[in-house]
Amino acid sequence: MELTENDQGRYVVLAPAGRLNLVSAPTLQTRIGELVAGGQARVVVDLSGVEFIDSSGLGALIGGLKVARQAGGDLRVAGAGTQITAVLQLTNLNRLLAPAATAEEAAAAW
Amino acid sequence: MPTSAAQTAQRLAQDAGGRYDRVIRPAQAIFGAPIVALNLIGDEFQYTVAAVGIRTGATPVDQAICRTTVTQQGVFEVHDLRDDARFKDLPLVAEPPRLRYYAGVPLRTQAGQTVGALCILDFVPRELGRSQREMLADLGTLLEREMAVQEEMAKAGEVQQRLLPRTAPDIPGVEIAGRVVPYRDAGGDFFDWQVVDGDDGGRRLQVVLSDVMGKGLAAALIASVVRAALRTHSRYTGLADAVQRTAETTAPDLESNERFVTMWAARIDPVTGAVQYVDAGHGLAVIVSPTSVRRLVQDHLPLGMPIADTWTMAEDVLAYGERIVIVSDGVFDVFPDDESAMAAVQMTADPDTTNAEMVDTIVAYASDHGSTDDVTAIVISRTSGGAGASTGTNGQEG
Repeated sequence: MELTENDQGRYVVLAPAGRLNLVSAPTLQTRIGELVAGGQARVVVDLSGVEFIDSSGLGALIGGLKVARQAGGDLRVAGAGTQITAVLQLTNLNRLLAPAATAEEAAAAW
Repeated sequence: MPTSAAQTAQRLAQDAGGRYDRVIRPAQAIFGAPIVALNLIGDEFQYTVAAVGIRTGATPVDQAICRTTVTQQGVFEVHDLRDDARFKDLPLVAEPPRLRYYAGVPLRTQAGQTVGALCILDFVPRELGRSQREMLADLGTLLEREMAVQEEMAKAGEVQQRLLPRTAPDIPGVEIAGRVVPYRDAGGDFFDWQVVDGDDGGRRLQVVLSDVMGKGLAAALIASVVRAALRTHSRYTGLADAVQRTAETTAPDLESNERFVTMWAARIDPVTGAVQYVDAGHGLAVIVSPTSVRRLVQDHLPLGMPIADTWTMAEDVLAYGERIVIVSDGVFDVFPDDESAMAAVQMTADPDTTNAEMVDTIVAYASDHGSTDDVTAIVISRTSGGAGASTGTNGQEG
């Protein structure tokens, strides 16, 4: 999985590409942890390049959300495709991770 | 009764798949031998489970040289098979391919049973040098470790299968079937059922299907914790409270392991068909008949989330001729969207089909369509009077 990072100053956009699963999820979660530990606790995960997410991928997003909130920030998601939207709805995790259309929109209130 | 070495060998051979190939190929390169094989010695047959230069498969054990190797300590070498009275008349030696040379190392399980041998064969007489003998022994040790992993995983899978309901619930008026096929030997999906007391003193069938985030043995360990907690709380309190307490009981374990768990649990009154259910982020339960389908979903979070939630119950009624179908996301994943998944489930709900057949159809469909997750399905219906002829089946093929 490729992970592109774009520092917008007030927040950081992380854009994973490919499948966000058991294999690739730790990469994303580790990077979120590093960003938060380094003082950047506002993170947008742009999912527009992710074609498939499994429960481990969701776990990485939830884990990232947790560390971001503990540091006084937040984690938001954007650009979710059909499969990701369906999984978020099914698990009701859209209550915690309501996907915005774009990264800019997700970060609008920051 | 203890398992014999031959029985262990047969079981290992059956589940070997291609996992030993990656040791066999370098062995051929190291020794420059035309034939390298991993042979497991059963009662009647020798099972060649990985090989280069010869076919894998079963051959009569009385024609096997490795049968002698398993009685030896350490590397066993025969420089020229034609000169050895034990082997010169074997078909492989006396007839084409007319093998001349053999070296093998016996392979033991963790329990100390010798189950087979890694061997090299050649068409010309030869002799291994000291370092080559050591290398052959090292490769044997590598294979023994791989066999130990295979055995441990298979045993864990067996334990998990035994933690599934093995008999029909002792309650008349409902019929239930369920099955889980883990993606690997063990997994994070489980289902359970038990008979509990309802609010009015009547008896209820409680059913749960749950899915721990992740796969394999690690997810299976968490599944055991969740199953035990729910099973225990369910004996003493109502459904919503039992789920709530299970969430609270397991929260520290889920948090420290960074796992979340989706769960769909219900209590069914076999007399009235009343269904109480809690949907903790599972979302994959329906009541279907040949003419209708309705989802039994709520907007509660899964267990193990970083924010607190309160799990409450919803209600429905299961009419005669309707069925409750609950599946795991391993089934959902092979469909492009919810609607087509629901439509497919409904298509299996033919009145002449038994619940067990429906379960098998759903599970087989998901497995055949390349699901890369654990796959689970439960089907429940009401029976008109008398004891429910219930069935519970389970299985664990790939």
